[in-house]
Amino acid sequence: MRELGRNIFRNFGTTSSSFLSLMLLFLLFDLYWIGAGTSETFYTDLLSELRMEAFVSEDVSDSTVPLLEADISTIEGVLTTTYMSRSQAREELERLIGIDFLVGYDTLNPLPRSFVLSFAADHLDSPHIEGIASELAAIDGIDDVSFSRRWLAKAETTRIVIRNGGLVLGVLILLAALISSTNNIRLMTRARAVGFQQMRLVGAGRLFLAAPFLVEGLLIGGLSAAAGWWLVFLAAGKISFTLFEIVYPSLEDIVFFCLGAALLGLLSGYLGIRRHFQ
Amino acid sequence: MPASKVIELNNVFLKSDRGDQLFRDLNLSLDAGRAAVVVGGAGSGKSSLVELLIGARRPDSGSVEAFGELISSGRQGIIRKTRRKIGGVGGLFGLVPSFTVAENITYPLVLKVENRKTIKNSLFKMLTEFSLLQQAGEYPGKLTRVEKTLVQFARAAIANQPLMIIDEPAAGLDSSTFERILDFLARVSLSGRSLLILTSDTLPRDIPNADTYKFSNGALL
Repeated sequence: MRELGRNIFRNFGTTSSSFLSLMLLFLLFDLYWIGAGTSETFYTDLLSELRMEAFVSEDVSDSTVPLLEADISTIEGVLTTTYMSRSQAREELERLIGIDFLVGYDTLNPLPRSFVLSFAADHLDSPHIEGIASELAAIDGIDDVSFSRRWLAKAETTRIVIRNGGLVLGVLILLAALISSTNNIRLMTRARAVGFQQMRLVGAGRLFLAAPFLVEGLLIGGLSAAAGWWLVFLAAGKISFTLFEIVYPSLEDIVFFCLGAALLGLLSGYLGIRRHFQ
Repeated sequence: MPASKVIELNNVFLKSDRGDQLFRDLNLSLDAGRAAVVVGGAGSGKSSLVELLIGARRPDSGSVEAFGELISSGRQGIIRKTRRKIGGVGGLFGLVPSFTVAENITYPLVLKVENRKTIKNSLFKMLTEFSLLQQAGEYPGKLTRVEKTLVQFARAAIANQPLMIIDEPAAGLDSSTFERILDFLARVSLSGRSLLILTSDTLPRDIPNADTYKFSNGALL
C-alpha cells in the first residue's frame, strides 16, 4: 500500500489525468443511463395511453352487453373495459369535431356501440396487442376491432433505436474507459521499465511489482465512477425539470456500477502491466 | 550438491549474443563463507557469468546451481528465491531511478517484509557506513558515479544476504573510496558471507578467505 501511495504521487500528473478522463467517460455513461431510464419511463407512460375499440354488432341487444363485457374482461392483458353506448359515442364525436358537423343527425345516430380497452403494462407491445385484437375479433358479438397500429409500430421502432443506440454507446464508452485506463497504466509502467528490471534483479516477484498498478487501477476505476455520479447528483440538485420526470438508477445499481468500474480499472491495470512482464 | 556450496557451475558452455563461444567447459564452485575473485579482461564473460548466476541467462549446456537450486532450469520461483539471497553491485545491478537512495537501499528488506523499525535502523547503519546520510532523500539521477556505487554496496549489505556479487568493484571509485570498499569487502568475507568479485585487474590487496580465478579461453583457471 505504501508503494501504491508513492506510485500515485510520483506519477501524479498521469494518475490525475487518468482519473479525470475516466470520470468524464463515466459521467457520459451515467447521463446515457439516466437518459435511457427516463426515455423508457416516458415511453411506458406514452404506451399506457394506448386504447383499443371493440365495436359491438348491431344484432347484439343492450341486455347482453354486460355478458359481452365480462367475456372481454377475461382476456389476458386487458386492464380496463369501458362500455360506450351510442349516445356516449355521439357525445364524444361532438366533442371532437363540433356540433356543426352533426347537422342532420339530430335524431339519427348511426354510431356503433363499443368497448374501450386499456392494457396491462406487460402487454404493451405489438405481439400482445395483436393477440388481444385477434381474441376480441373472435368473440361472438364483436364486429370490428380498431387501434392505432402505425402509432404503436412507430413508438416501438423509436424505443428499439434508442435502446440499441444506447447499448452501442454504452459499450463504446466502457471500451474507451478500458483503453484509456490501460494506456495510462502502460505509460506509467513503460516509464518505469528500468526500475522494474532492477527490482526484479533484486528478487521482486511479479505480484510485488504489479500490485501497486492493480490497486491503482481498481481505485481509479471505482473512485472516478463514484465521482461521476457525485457530479450528476450535484447538478441535479441545482437544476429542476418540470416538463418530465428524470429517472435515476437506484442506489444499489449505482454501487454495483462503481464496483464494476473498479473491476474494469483492475482489468486495465492488469492489461497495462501484463505486456511488461512477458 | 552439499548445502555448504553457494554456487556451482558445471561444464558450462555459452555462446555470446554474436555467436562467439564465450564459455567452454567452465566450472566454478564457491563454498559458504568463502570468496572468489574472478579476473578477466573486457569481453571475457564476467557479466555473462553474473547473468548465469542470477538466472538472467541460461547456459547452452551444463548446469548452474545456486544455494542448492538448479537456477539454469529457468524456473521463475527458483530464480526469484535465489536473487533474494544475492546482494549485487555494479554491472547489471543498477539502481531504481524512481526510488530515493533510502528506498533503493532498503528494497531488499521491503521484499523480506521486515518491520518498519528494523528497516529504519538498518538504513541508518548503512547510510552512516557508506557516508550517504546527506543523499538519503535524493534520486539516483542526482548522484555522482561514486555515490551510485556506494548506494549499491549499501543495498547489497543491508539484508545480510549469504552471497554478494560485485562486478568491477573499482569502477567509478576514486582511490580512497576504493580502499574503503576493500576494507568493507574484507569485513564481509570475515563475517562468513560469501563473495564473488569480478574484476578486470587483480585487486591491490588480498581479500580474506578468497581464491583467485582467471578467465582463459572461456574457462576459469
